Amino acid sequence: MFDSLDISASALQAQRTRLDTIATNIANMNTTQGLDGNPYRRRYAVFAQGQEGDSSRPGVHVSKIEKDQGAFRVVDRDGKKVLYPNIDLSQEFVDALECSRAYEANVTTMEVTKAMINASLRLVA
Amino acid sequence: MFIQRMLNQTGAPALERLLSFTEARQGLIADDIANVDSQNYRQKDLSVERFQQMLRQRVDAAHNPAHNPSTGSSPAGADDFSDIDAELEYPTRGILFHDGNNRSMEQLMSDQAKNALMHQVAVELLRKQYQSMQAALQDKVG
Repeated sequence: MFDSLDISASALQAQRTRLDTIATNIANMNTTQGLDGNPYRRRYAVFAQGQEGDSSRPGVHVSKIEKDQGAFRVVDRDGKKVLYPNIDLSQEFVDALECSRAYEANVTTMEVTKAMINASLRLVA
Repeated sequence: MFIQRMLNQTGAPALERLLSFTEARQGLIADDIANVDSQNYRQKDLSVERFQQMLRQRVDAAHNPAHNPSTGSSPAGADDFSDIDAELEYPTRGILFHDGNNRSMEQLMSDQAKNALMHQVAVELLRKQYQSMQAALQDKVG
C-alpha cells in the first residue's frame, strides 16, 4: 500500500517539473536573445514510466526536457522583421490547466490511499 | 488451532483476500493515474469479475460439502483462500490517443472510488467479526 503513495508522489513531482517548464516558457515568451543568440525556444517535459533512477518500479518521471523545433514567430517592428520565441500563450495556459488537473487527481489518489491504510490500521486498534 | 478453526468458519479468510485484492488494485490505479501523460502507456487493472468468480466458487465449495461427494466433506484447501490471485488485465476501453496512451481519467477515478468503497466494506465486516469474536471470548473468560 505504501508503494501507491510513492507512485502518486512521483507523479506530483513530474507534474510540478512540467509546470515549471510551462512557467519558464511563459516568462520567456518575449525573449528574443537566448544564450545562443537566437530567440528562446519553447520547452516541454516528456514523461516516461517508472520511478526516476529505477524504471522497473511503478511510477512516472520526467525523462527529458525537449526543445520545440517549431518555427519562430516573425513580428514586424518598424518595418524590421524580428524573430520571437515559438510560444503560443493559449497552448501554454491549456497545458498548465491540464497539468494542474493531473496534479489534483494524484493528490486525490494519495488521499484515497491514506484513507485505505488508516482503515486497515483500525483493524488492529 | 482452535482460533484458526474459528476464524476459518467465518468469512474472515475471504474478506482478508478481498483486502489484499483492493490494496493491490489501488496500486495499479495509482500507477495508471500517475502515467496519464506518459507516451505509449497502456492502462493496467486487476479483473474484478474474475476475482469475484474465483472467490464465489471457493466460498460455495467451503460451505457445501456436497461439492466433494467422495468424502462428503469440504474439499481440501477450501478454507484456505491464499491461492486465489487476481489476474492482471489491460483494458482496451477508451480512446487510444495519438501519444499511444489509452487514458480515461473519469473511468480511473470511478474505479478508484469503487475500489476504496469495496475496501471499506471488507474492513468494516472484518472488524465486526473480530469484535464478535472478542465479545464471545470475553464472555467465556468472565
